[in-house]
Amino acid sequence: MSDAPYVVSRLDELERLSVDDEGLTWRPVRRHFGIQAFGVNAYTAGEAGARVVEEHRDGHEELYFVVSGKARFRLGDDELNVEAGTFVFVRPDALRGAVASAAGTTILAMGARAGEIFQPSGWEESFAAHGYLRAGDEERGRKLLTDFATAHADDWIAHYKLGVFESVAGRKDAALEHLIRAVALEPQAAEHAATDPDLAALREQPGFASAVAGQTQAGGEGT
Amino acid sequence: MTGEGVQSSALDGVETFSGVQNPHWHRIRSHFGVEGFGVNAWTATEAGQTLIPEHDEVGASAAGHEELYVIIKGHARFSVDGRELDAPAGTLVFVRDPALKRTAIAEEEGTTVLVVGGRPGEPFAVSAWERNSEFLRFFDSGEYERAIELLRERHREEPESAGVLYNLACAEALAGRPEDALEHLARSVELDADFRGFAQTDSDLDAVRGDPRFPAAV
Repeated sequence: MSDAPYVVSRLDELERLSVDDEGLTWRPVRRHFGIQAFGVNAYTAGEAGARVVEEHRDGHEELYFVVSGKARFRLGDDELNVEAGTFVFVRPDALRGAVASAAGTTILAMGARAGEIFQPSGWEESFAAHGYLRAGDEERGRKLLTDFATAHADDWIAHYKLGVFESVAGRKDAALEHLIRAVALEPQAAEHAATDPDLAALREQPGFASAVAGQTQAGGEGT
Repeated sequence: MTGEGVQSSALDGVETFSGVQNPHWHRIRSHFGVEGFGVNAWTATEAGQTLIPEHDEVGASAAGHEELYVIIKGHARFSVDGRELDAPAGTLVFVRDPALKRTAIAEEEGTTVLVVGGRPGEPFAVSAWERNSEFLRFFDSGEYERAIELLRERHREEPESAGVLYNLACAEALAGRPEDALEHLARSVELDADFRGFAQTDSDLDAVRGDPRFPAAV
């Protein structure tokens, strides 16, 4: 991330981080430039059928611009095929997602919460860490989330994400340690852990239920 | 498409102000009702056209935004802080420091730049220049008296806005009201010296340029 007074880059030069099993390739525009006033990222599909916008609901209002190629958006209960040069604006909480209809489709996503000071989304750290893990740079991903959890020591989500990372990386003891910390800070973390697909392998561990559920009880629920 | 919480549009479908000898301004933020950040686009109608007029983000009518320029079509040449930057389609130019002067020229007709902006540490608020630009729709249609009416209303609300006074002077010059135009132009330059420079090349002011009271270049 730069803090220079101005920065010029080509979209082609930005990192390409594979972040899920549906082909979503994240181009971290905001992180690259160090933008602090609004969210902005790009996604590029290697092939038709790859995901270019994660299906999600968001507190941000988001404006998507199809830079190249074409895509099929899911917007609530509707589907919409869009070509390059099209804007799609989605207000907060509406379901949104998109799949590329052509190889090389690139979508620019801009977003923020109306009426609030912009804060970079926490998922960016997680996306970056898992992107590095998938690219074979496990230590870089771990350092990113460890630094984030250290800087946000009382934030259960930071510890939960580090636990998920360690689980995906196959370090089960470390994963449990961070999940226990997350549940101690916020008992609802246990509910997420019970169904999170990234924790499937960890849930088979003999100590998982007692460790995570036990923390739930210690946190004040179910007694 | 417009559904619950969703709108889509091609760039051509976004409300656009054309002006004369000016790039097309695609009013993306207001078209979609975006309230969390600033976003607009400009398309050059000819090569060599000024696509982004030289400005900084610290003047009286500026919003203090950090700005991301995305060249989505064609080829532009930027100047940031006096440094020339080649910017073909696919280039991103991010200007963090609001005090830096920035401008862009289109190298070819149809060059389009998307601009996203906001002020760090503050909720987004529509900038004064955008609020004050509704009059442009009447420039497009040649209804200069209606533009004057709107700008006078804005002037009553913001009597110290140099931008409003400057645009009022332009409308009055185009409407054949040279005395009013020169008076408001002088006041605009008095409030913000940048407008002296803008006036030197602004064709809207051609009708009053020859008057000895016209602000001289420095």
